[in-house]
Amino acid sequence: MPVSTYLGSQLVDLCSVLLLLCCFAIVAQRRLSACVDLFALQSAFLAATAALVAFLTGHRHIYFAAALTIVIKVIVLPRILRKVIERLNVSRELGMNVNIPAGLLICGVLVIVAFFITQPIIPLGYLLTRDSLAIALAIILIGFFTMIARQKAITQMVGFLVMENGVFLGATAAAYGMPLIVELGVFFDVLVAGLIVGIYTHRLQDAFDSVDTSTLTVLKE
Amino acid sequence: MSTLLTILLASYLLGGLLPLCVPGRPHLQNLLAHGCAAGAGVVGIALGLAGLLAADPLTGSFSSNIPYLTFAFRLDPLAAFFVLTISLVGLAASIYALGYVGEFSGRVSLTLLGSLLNGFLLSMTLVVLADNGFFFLILWEAMSLLSYVLVVTEHEKPGVREAGLFYLIMTHVGTAFIILTFLIFFQETGSFSFDSFRHPDQRLPEGLRSIAFFTALIGFGAKAGIVPLHVWLPYAHPAAPSHVSALMSGVMIKTAIYALIRVYFDFLDGEFPWWWGFTVLVIGAVSALLGVMYALMEHDLKSLLAYHSVENIGIILLGIGAGMIFHTYGLHELAALGLLAGLYHTINHAAFKALLFLGAGALQFATHTRNIEEYGGLLRRMPWTGAFFLIGAVSIAALPPTNGFVSEWLVFQSLFLSFQLPTLFLKLILPIAAAMLALTGALALACFAKAFGMSFLAQPRSSHARHATEVPVSMRIGMGLLAGACVVLGLAPMLVVPLLDRITGPLTGVAISSKVLALDGWVVAPVTVEFSSISTPVLAALLVGAGALGLLFARMMGKPLRARYYKTWGCGLNLTPRMEYTATGFAQPIKQVFETIYQPTVKLETEFLEQSKYFIKHQRFEFHIEPLFEKYLYTPVVTFLLAIADRLRIIQAGSLHLYLTYIFVTLVLLLLWAG
Repeated sequence: MPVSTYLGSQLVDLCSVLLLLCCFAIVAQRRLSACVDLFALQSAFLAATAALVAFLTGHRHIYFAAALTIVIKVIVLPRILRKVIERLNVSRELGMNVNIPAGLLICGVLVIVAFFITQPIIPLGYLLTRDSLAIALAIILIGFFTMIARQKAITQMVGFLVMENGVFLGATAAAYGMPLIVELGVFFDVLVAGLIVGIYTHRLQDAFDSVDTSTLTVLKE
Repeated sequence: MSTLLTILLASYLLGGLLPLCVPGRPHLQNLLAHGCAAGAGVVGIALGLAGLLAADPLTGSFSSNIPYLTFAFRLDPLAAFFVLTISLVGLAASIYALGYVGEFSGRVSLTLLGSLLNGFLLSMTLVVLADNGFFFLILWEAMSLLSYVLVVTEHEKPGVREAGLFYLIMTHVGTAFIILTFLIFFQETGSFSFDSFRHPDQRLPEGLRSIAFFTALIGFGAKAGIVPLHVWLPYAHPAAPSHVSALMSGVMIKTAIYALIRVYFDFLDGEFPWWWGFTVLVIGAVSALLGVMYALMEHDLKSLLAYHSVENIGIILLGIGAGMIFHTYGLHELAALGLLAGLYHTINHAAFKALLFLGAGALQFATHTRNIEEYGGLLRRMPWTGAFFLIGAVSIAALPPTNGFVSEWLVFQSLFLSFQLPTLFLKLILPIAAAMLALTGALALACFAKAFGMSFLAQPRSSHARHATEVPVSMRIGMGLLAGACVVLGLAPMLVVPLLDRITGPLTGVAISSKVLALDGWVVAPVTVEFSSISTPVLAALLVGAGALGLLFARMMGKPLRARYYKTWGCGLNLTPRMEYTATGFAQPIKQVFETIYQPTVKLETEFLEQSKYFIKHQRFEFHIEPLFEKYLYTPVVTFLLAIADRLRIIQAGSLHLYLTYIFVTLVLLLLWAG
């Protein structure tokens, strides 16, 4: 393996790990605005990873995806979420389904699970990004876990977006990104999801005087 | 023939699509939808006749990308006969609908109603043409769903939605069993094509054949409305618009008869064990008797007719069951006779039941009620409807010389001929079935004496009936067509029997048309002329002749006839509708006799004047009969299912986080398992 490729692969791994670290930070963070900032940071790392992969492999369309990531996930979505937080006047997540130390431990376990699952697959790959696959899966699982552990609708949205970041990283790692048209579709979906959650939290606030999704149980017959 | 078939399918498709293309013009939409359906009906009748007369079946097939699915069709005489039946009723119903749908204008989308009707007719036609199990199931499901949507046309009424749901559940239970039937064949033959079902490489094992027999009986029986799977009929038929009820009761439930004959005589041909036919016979007899008994107690005209559908499906199954028993014992001519009687009754029932449903729709159109108690005196206000309804009533009551009489007589004869069977048990059972059929016929007569008498004779019992007027001409044409069909089918068995013989011939291996029709077709006989024979044209001539002779006799012997107009004698009182016999009163003696079956609850509340208890202020009479099957069969099943569902609700906590956890745990476990 030439040195440049080796170095590139190491750099991609480094960026992926930074993404993973952001996940842990989100899980450990109670303040909502900080969660959103961390998500923006994670997205920035993701864009960097994508740009790096594009540079190393010469796939132009990944640049495009990286640019879209910056616009939508680093700028637009965090802004929407911050607005929602401002309007709802909630700054902290008080009650949690799983407390922070236990949550961090579970996330650690999830990372191990992700590596364990991808263990047999990774040696089959030949791309320089192949090691990121395990990290991508770990990010997806942690994002999912965030949705379960938190009660506020906004952190659930953050969890969902983190999952989406994981999927994006996975796609980049496994196949140098999806076809551009698919990426565009996914970005659009994410944006729409962000808007819907914005409206949905607003409604939730109106109906229950809280954005705590646990209150939705009263809707059951 | 293939041209006719193309035109037929294209007209239904056009009828379904064209109304959607001209939004905002309800009259044009109405004309387009029902015009196309009527045109397709005419073409379908021609196609049916051509298919019956053709030497070879018309086949065709279009392959598809989906494994095992080919769009194969086959127009053999059996399919052609049902295409003919569907088209006949479809033609009448669509002409009728031209005027009738006005009843719904403003309340439901007429565009949708017209276009769905075309889709429904198309799916029924294709069901009988399908020659591939997969294709058949898709069409069967389309037919069920389209009819469901048509049933809930007036979904703003709460009862209608419940009726629709009930129907949907029952028909899907049936479909599940039909899928099982086809899977049994598929498992043995490795293909869904009907040809491979017909000629499997090796004969299916005996046990599997019997399982297929039962799953088909339950699956198609649920659609046909055999007891105890009949419970949806009295809910769904009244809920639907009347032209749809006519189609559902007249032909949709017949597609199940088609499928039963197809499965039993075509796929499972060869020797049946005797108890197959016996089972069908018993179910037929019980359905016939219970159907008519519950019909007698109904005062909702369309529910009453729905119960009569159960009865007539029973009569059809009596013929088919007898045919199956004879087939087992190698009495092929008698087998053909039983089958022929069943098929004859199938088209007859399609004609008169659709006619009666259209008549009921006309009454509802004119009076806005379905309750017989609120009718009365309608014959003077709606003479055409009355006359057509009378023809239908006479046919369904199996009075000579109408069509119901011919086919029911043939069923009787095939049951009586059981003395040729070798086993004593069956020799005893078949006449008992005949006796039950006789009782059924008598009760049906009573029921339609009630239905016609209470609706059309005497004085109006409500202001609805008092202000009724005759229905639009298109509705009368629709009914008139079917009334004509009833008379022709009754008076001209010599035209019908040879056609039916072309169906039963290949299925049983013998042609009996020449033996059933003696004396150049003027006499119908059950294979052996010596046993018994009957001739409806002669009977009709006798009836007319006797009437004329009586009149002539009176003219000659008595004083010259002089019409005298005077009030009906009323014991010095003014006649009021309150003096009339009511439908409840009419059915009372029969209710008393069959008390064990009806288990009626009668409640009479009397409120007296305070001053004296000899004067009554109010009196309230209430009676209802116990719906046995719902109480003892369906309620326990539903209760059981609800209890299980309640248990399962524990995992349905309504918590978003819990649901997410389910997904998460499943995902991780699956990943671990796969890794």
